[in-house]
Amino acid sequence: MAINPHFHHTNEQINEELIIIEAAKQNPERFGPLYNKYYKQIFNYLYQRMEDKDTAFDLTGQVFLKALTNLPNYQFKGVPFASWLYRIAHNEMMQMFRVQKDRRSVNADIGDLKYICEEHDEPFFEEYIPAIKKLLLELDEEDMQMVEFRFFEKRPFKEIAEILDITEVNAKVRMYRIIEKLKKSMSKLKL
Amino acid sequence: MEPKFNIDRPKISDEEIKKHQNFEQLVKQFKQQSLNKAKHDKSWWKSKKVRYSAVIAGITVICTISYLALFKNETKQNTTHETVITQNNNNQNIPTKKSFINEPSQNLKVNYTSYKINNAKGGELKHPSSSKIKVPVNTFVDKNGKDVIGDVTIEYREFHDAADIIASGIPMNYDSAGTKYNLESAGMFDIKGTQNGEPVFIKKDKKVEIELASANSENKFNQYYLDTVTKNWQYIKKDHANSISGNNHETNDFDNNDKDNSDNYIKRSTKLQLIKDQIEVVIPKKIDSVKTVYTKKIDAIPKVKEPTKINKPTPGRPTFYLEGSYNEFPELAAFNNVIFEVGPENKNYRPDMHEITWSDVKVSEGPVKGKNYLLTLTYRKQVEKLIVYPTLSGADLEKAEKKYQQKYKDYESLVEKKQAEETRLMAEMEAKQKTYLAEIKSKQEEFDKQRAKFITEFKQKEQSQLASNFNAMSAQTKATRLFTISSFGVYNSDCPHAEPTGKTISPMFVSGEKGNAINPDILYMVNHNTKMVYNIAFKDGFKITYEPSNNYSLCVFRNNKLFICNKDQFKATANKDSNKFTITELPDNADNLVDFKKALEI
Repeated sequence: MAINPHFHHTNEQINEELIIIEAAKQNPERFGPLYNKYYKQIFNYLYQRMEDKDTAFDLTGQVFLKALTNLPNYQFKGVPFASWLYRIAHNEMMQMFRVQKDRRSVNADIGDLKYICEEHDEPFFEEYIPAIKKLLLELDEEDMQMVEFRFFEKRPFKEIAEILDITEVNAKVRMYRIIEKLKKSMSKLKL
Repeated sequence: MEPKFNIDRPKISDEEIKKHQNFEQLVKQFKQQSLNKAKHDKSWWKSKKVRYSAVIAGITVICTISYLALFKNETKQNTTHETVITQNNNNQNIPTKKSFINEPSQNLKVNYTSYKINNAKGGELKHPSSSKIKVPVNTFVDKNGKDVIGDVTIEYREFHDAADIIASGIPMNYDSAGTKYNLESAGMFDIKGTQNGEPVFIKKDKKVEIELASANSENKFNQYYLDTVTKNWQYIKKDHANSISGNNHETNDFDNNDKDNSDNYIKRSTKLQLIKDQIEVVIPKKIDSVKTVYTKKIDAIPKVKEPTKINKPTPGRPTFYLEGSYNEFPELAAFNNVIFEVGPENKNYRPDMHEITWSDVKVSEGPVKGKNYLLTLTYRKQVEKLIVYPTLSGADLEKAEKKYQQKYKDYESLVEKKQAEETRLMAEMEAKQKTYLAEIKSKQEEFDKQRAKFITEFKQKEQSQLASNFNAMSAQTKATRLFTISSFGVYNSDCPHAEPTGKTISPMFVSGEKGNAINPDILYMVNHNTKMVYNIAFKDGFKITYEPSNNYSLCVFRNNKLFICNKDQFKATANKDSNKFTITELPDNADNLVDFKKALEI
């Protein structure tokens, strides 16, 4: 799985970000480079999980406003700034679903479903789509999030771990359990 | 609530995401939020220090202002000027700076018609509106001034009514020596030339003639060229309308470049796109998937190992027979009665090695696993290593031979089974792939048929649409207007009008059943009496000036959505002396220029 250069950073890049963050704590107008760098990532993250495009754009704006407001409290933990933004985005999104009683959505490409099948040594045919959808919808929110990160967004475990604030090993173990769960369900469905 | 599962939902383009990316807006919001927070947080005022400081600061400010008012008139002027600037900077609603030609919507497009013309031959191109483009021989040069060899692509489009003008985003205001005018158009066109994607130019001593079909035969118009550098229309000359009688439409050489445009046609048909996706993406993915799975299955068949045959010693080759107590060398017990033949590859072999009583002997795996071994002989500090081959003789050889025969038989049957399984799996895979290949073939045939049908229908529709639009403008007053151009660009037959007079209001817009307020990003006003289009500038809000006796429509663009206030809706509001206009959203489909014209009642 390819490394996401927008997420993964060298120490030098992380330090550059830190300098911008410190400057932005003093003057919000210095936040621009981080906003421009992460806007698309955060929008895509949100839009992948909801139905309405305009709501996703609004929420993206809210995430950055919240980030800017809480920037003085930001503490560097050795991971890219993006992981902090993702956590704000996730919390804002879940809050929105709760308050507006909105429906979460899951978005995948056919290629993603094929990828899942191949991980389970099963050939993929379009006729399987309804069954796979059904299986995935039975997963709880946490597991679904892992599936989205790993199979739909093709994120490496390192990145998933940083976003979820867990260790890489923990992310792998969780994923392994989900795969086992899916394997069982798939064999029951006799795909 | 169970999530909704979408498959292959279209992605949002980078351009659209970029459009929403507005850091200045974020900072404004942040500052506003901080201000609101500060307003609500009055705890600071409770501090005595703050109160005393404020009183002292107030007295200082009053003293300073009085001093400046009395003695420094110049400074006062400067201060006033600064105030104006500050007001502008603080205005939260100023729209961001836009480019000169600013198409208001991606969905509203006046498409170019593409023609090919050979530079060496020149010729005359006929547009569906009955306009003609006359190109003399060897007219075009490349960026280095050299004659272009071969075909040149001419892209051409015309704008005849308010909808075309709005869709084009071309500004219709004209600044003549500081006086501002709005242009009434009798027809406008945009022409450009390329070869293999590179722009070409009109040679210095050559001219291209455009006989522009016009719906207006009046002679009050001038010819203008849109200068995108000075951002103004440049007067060329007085225009003259040559009236023509009857319907002069001819079939055109419309689009000689089918292949290039094929993709554009496909984009317009969901059905074609679906078939194309099946052929290019979905079915090949299935074929790939089948291959991946079956390759894994074939790889998973256990490998069969061929048994090793033990021979009798080669006559004349030196051998070692390991004598001694196997209690002392238990690891050699497996080699009981085995005669190790020294391989010819051992250059270090010496016959005197047989004379030494070796204190330690080790047999380990040789370079070819299962075929040879490494014999390590040690005596004090002397260590010799030889590659040896196990051999047997006499009864042992016979026994081993029998055993080998049996093992080889088993091996052969396993190989046969493995091959059969592989062949079966391969056949199964090929059969599945063949089915998909046949599906691709039949889909391709279906696609070709559908595409040919669609292109024919689309062309007919587009031509008749162009012709009917043109006819609809004014069947009786058709004329041609001759432009002689020496460079590509936008040309217009226009009559300048002074800024409108009448009633000025700040309009408000509401839409939908709930009457939601809509704040325009871009606002146009169309005067149906004069056929003029006004791009309303934002200056401390939008303001429109209209003559109550005329008929108007308003076009509001908000977040790439288009809303219309038609003639009746406008009249209704104007009659009530109100400024609240009801607007209706136009359906958001790809080709809605036609719908736009209908909505504007053009």
